[in-house]
Amino acid sequence: MNNEQTNYRKYLDPRTLARIGSLDLRARLIVEGLMTGMHRSPYQGASVEFAQHRPYVPGDDIRRVDWKVLGKSDRVFLKQYIEETNLHLICVVDASESMGYGTVEPARAADPGLAGDLKGAVSSVLAPQSSAGTWTKFDHATAIAASLAYMAIQQQDSVGLAVFDRELKKYLKPSNSPAQWKTLTQELTVVPRTAKTGTGHVLDQLAEKLTHRSLVVILSDFFDDMAGIQQGLRHLRYKKHELMVFQVLDPMEVEFPFDDVTLFQGLEGLGDLLTEPRALREGYLEQLNGFTEELKKMCRGMHIDFTRMNSGESLDVALSNFLATRAATMK
Amino acid sequence: MLCTDAFTCHWPLTTGRSLAAGFITPGFAIAGLLLAGIPILIHILNRRRYKTVQWAAMEFLLRAMRKNRRRLKFEQWILLATRCLVLLLAGIALARPLGCRDSAIASMAGTRSGLHVIVIDNSYSTAYEGDRTNARTHLDRGKQLAKELIDTFQAGGEAVAIITASRPAASVLSPATYDLQAARGGVDRVQQAYGSTDLLGALRAAQAIANAEKTLGQRRLYLITDGTRSAWETPDAAAIKQLGPELARQYRVAHFHLGKAGQWNQVALDVKPAGNLVSTRLNNDLTARLHSFGQGPDALLQWKLDDSVLPGGGQVRFGAEPVTLAQPGASFRAGGAHVVSAGLVTQDRLKIDDTRHRVLDVASEMKVLIVEGERGMSKLGGSGAFLELALAPPREATAEGGAKTDSYVAPEVVSDLELGNKVLTDYRAVILAGVAQLTAAQADQLALFVKQGGGLITFMGEPVVGDSYNQVLLPRGLVPGPLTKRVSAAADQNGFLFDFKPHGSLHPLLGLFSAQEKTGLDTAQIFTYWQIDLKPDAKVERVLDYLPTGATATGGAGAAGAGGGSGNANASAPRDPAIVLHTLGQGHVITFTTTANAEWTSFPAKPSYVALMHELLAGSIGAGDRWMNLTAGEPLMVPRNLKLTGSPTLFDPQQKEIVLEPLPAGGPGAYRSGPLVRPGVYRLSTGASSSLPIAVNVPPEEADVRTLDNNAVKRALGDVDVEFHADTLPPAAAEVNRAGTDFGWPFMLAVLLFVAGESFMAMRFGHYRRTSG
Repeated sequence: MNNEQTNYRKYLDPRTLARIGSLDLRARLIVEGLMTGMHRSPYQGASVEFAQHRPYVPGDDIRRVDWKVLGKSDRVFLKQYIEETNLHLICVVDASESMGYGTVEPARAADPGLAGDLKGAVSSVLAPQSSAGTWTKFDHATAIAASLAYMAIQQQDSVGLAVFDRELKKYLKPSNSPAQWKTLTQELTVVPRTAKTGTGHVLDQLAEKLTHRSLVVILSDFFDDMAGIQQGLRHLRYKKHELMVFQVLDPMEVEFPFDDVTLFQGLEGLGDLLTEPRALREGYLEQLNGFTEELKKMCRGMHIDFTRMNSGESLDVALSNFLATRAATMK
Repeated sequence: MLCTDAFTCHWPLTTGRSLAAGFITPGFAIAGLLLAGIPILIHILNRRRYKTVQWAAMEFLLRAMRKNRRRLKFEQWILLATRCLVLLLAGIALARPLGCRDSAIASMAGTRSGLHVIVIDNSYSTAYEGDRTNARTHLDRGKQLAKELIDTFQAGGEAVAIITASRPAASVLSPATYDLQAARGGVDRVQQAYGSTDLLGALRAAQAIANAEKTLGQRRLYLITDGTRSAWETPDAAAIKQLGPELARQYRVAHFHLGKAGQWNQVALDVKPAGNLVSTRLNNDLTARLHSFGQGPDALLQWKLDDSVLPGGGQVRFGAEPVTLAQPGASFRAGGAHVVSAGLVTQDRLKIDDTRHRVLDVASEMKVLIVEGERGMSKLGGSGAFLELALAPPREATAEGGAKTDSYVAPEVVSDLELGNKVLTDYRAVILAGVAQLTAAQADQLALFVKQGGGLITFMGEPVVGDSYNQVLLPRGLVPGPLTKRVSAAADQNGFLFDFKPHGSLHPLLGLFSAQEKTGLDTAQIFTYWQIDLKPDAKVERVLDYLPTGATATGGAGAAGAGGGSGNANASAPRDPAIVLHTLGQGHVITFTTTANAEWTSFPAKPSYVALMHELLAGSIGAGDRWMNLTAGEPLMVPRNLKLTGSPTLFDPQQKEIVLEPLPAGGPGAYRSGPLVRPGVYRLSTGASSSLPIAVNVPPEEADVRTLDNNAVKRALGDVDVEFHADTLPPAAAEVNRAGTDFGWPFMLAVLLFVAGESFMAMRFGHYRRTSG
């Protein structure tokens, strides 16, 4: 049992996940790895829970009369329940060109237990080691999105998907159908990543589309105009949506560990820069961290959960945050 | 602007020389200049070698770049400049730049580098009293000047060498020393010498020092002389003129003139007997040659004999040429060595040459060995008998008896068969009279005798075998040339005549017959003589020649073609030598090519015969006292024929003992001293109770203290650039010495600082270039 737990926990490591070609399999393995060892199974789900009794008043729905109490005490009371709601989870994934950046190499050593862990999955889901690409920020974001969707559907929640770059490229309405998860992973797999980012505009669009109060999880590097982002988030909050913001960055972007003279070719049409990276490291990190801090501060001001993720680190942080937020939302 | 004073500026005006003179090893500076371009080259190459990465967070990178653009640019350029400067300064430091004292960067210099060679003239003319308050003589002032110069040098960086210019020139400090205290001590050790000036030797020593000290870039040569004619106008003048430009390429030359305008000096140039022979039996004339260099008042001459004043002195009136004054009829009571001194009582400022001493070997009896070659001759039949009679004519018989002769010569006639049995050192001279031939052993013995100062006179005669003379005597230098043939006058003709003219130019040996009529020398007939082939380059003196038939006499010594009356057909005909004088070792050899008796010539019947024989004898032994008359700086060489009863001891005029070293057998002498530098009369103890005086005089050629001007000195040095100064160190001259400041170490320190700065900056700084966007 202990060995089994250990085996599943390794699927929280992006370098291991990078060797798994199928996104839905990635997500299932992530969730399995996350839930292993928890005392309470998340699959119990949320049922209709009793809240309190109150005296009957004319006009009340007699279906809610507690007949047992009437029989025993000859008094008419109504049973009151917490409102029974399904959670609407909307995963918003940035598919701009900058999200295609990644430097996390797949695990080198072949893992002999990997195929066995998949419990009958075909070996084709494993990408050959020689052709396994680097783990990009987009990979990280989609893995999180798929995992969250998987967990939500398992709990009878509805899951929707929004993929965007400068425009809202794809939108799936929330649904708790098991087929929804398959559709969602399929969409995340085929989406192209070639355009610039237009976060603020997209969030505005999304806010108009969402008619039901939802938990909106935004996965992006947020390399975009801060004012636009703020406007979009504010619009969503205005619509009473709960928001979770995950800023996904590559380890190279976080650490900037370059030494030699380097020609940086900017994505999303930002030009080239030949420079001695050591001279710019301090200034770059200052700019990046300043941006992140500003984003974080802005989210805090709007009561939005903000998490900065390193695509080279384990995914459990994101998922744990999600579960905690969901629990708070359901209360 | 590095320099503010043109005089002290170290950098020459011409570009070509400025690099060579501005750096000790300019090659390093050039290399540093070239290497300074390497960082730029690397920078350019690095801009072409980079790796390319895709980058998502470009906006933040660009923002950082925009914010730090100026700082980055500044850092980049300062790093590049530092790297270039490190290499450039390293090259300059290794090149060891030299700067001026007045330059702004000179104050940074820790050490200077240079070689200073100081030549101090300490010849005896620098004993001239220069009327200075703090320095009695020129040399005293010169030494002060040298120490003042040394005071301007910098310890540890500048080397000093000191050379004295009295003959022979010597290095007081060699090799050059960086210890300036030792250099001052070296100056203090410079003593007043009594020799002549050897500027050539001093300059060659300076040249040798410069060749040995090639690493010391800034080289200076200071000539501290009295600037007299005796210092610069010497036989070495041509060599000095040739050496000057070579020195000017190695040194910057400065001359300090110690002499005063209008210097004058009166000197006793020479003292000697009028004749070659000084004897107790004769009244001997002595002469003193005196001169005044420069305008001075009259002086008084005082004669002394063995410290006793002789009459005959008096006032001396000097002219443009040296004057010769005689001491007539000086008589010596006893034979042996006597000291005759001629002293000037004068007001000149150079006293050391006012008195001159001369040791005379006064003969009371001169033993002469006459070797008779003709055997079985009757009385007065052989040449030996003629010579014995001539050299020691019998005194007229007196009632008291006594000596048979009054002559100082004590001849002894032996046959040639007895020559081998004789100890030749018992005699002052040997006369070969018609000796047929000598064995090789006899010839060796005779040659050694002559080389040690003995005299040899050879007369021809009937028995003489020319081939034997050529084979035995000629190789040993006992005849002046090969005997070629016997020349005889025809039976029906008169004999040959001597080429003698009383009023002509006569050899000193014939000086007695100058202007004397009826001496018979011009009328004596020679019927037969041996012809000797004298090579043109032979070092012989022709005392008297034969007159070719039909020619008229021209004088005593007849060089071919010399003189002769006009219209004389044979005036230029070659003349065969009659009497020839040449030197062998310390002795003389006189060859008379006809007989000493009347066999081949009528000369023995002439009035001059006896006198000429005495003169020839005196001429053959004339060098007997040479070893007792020395010039300051010469060593004493005690001859082997000097009779010693114990180990000889030499005392200087202050009665200090001077070491004599015995010489190995077969050498030129028996004992030898070191150089006798102080003039005066020394005493050589030859035994328990006997001693000989040794006269040491200053060289007369140093007496000319008349000064030369700077232009003459410049010409004497080959017209090279010379800085001229008087006898004081001008402030500007002191500044000259500051010009050699070596900035090598400050530059090296700067290199280290720049290296440290570069390391720090390289850690922090980088390169950038935005190509687009």
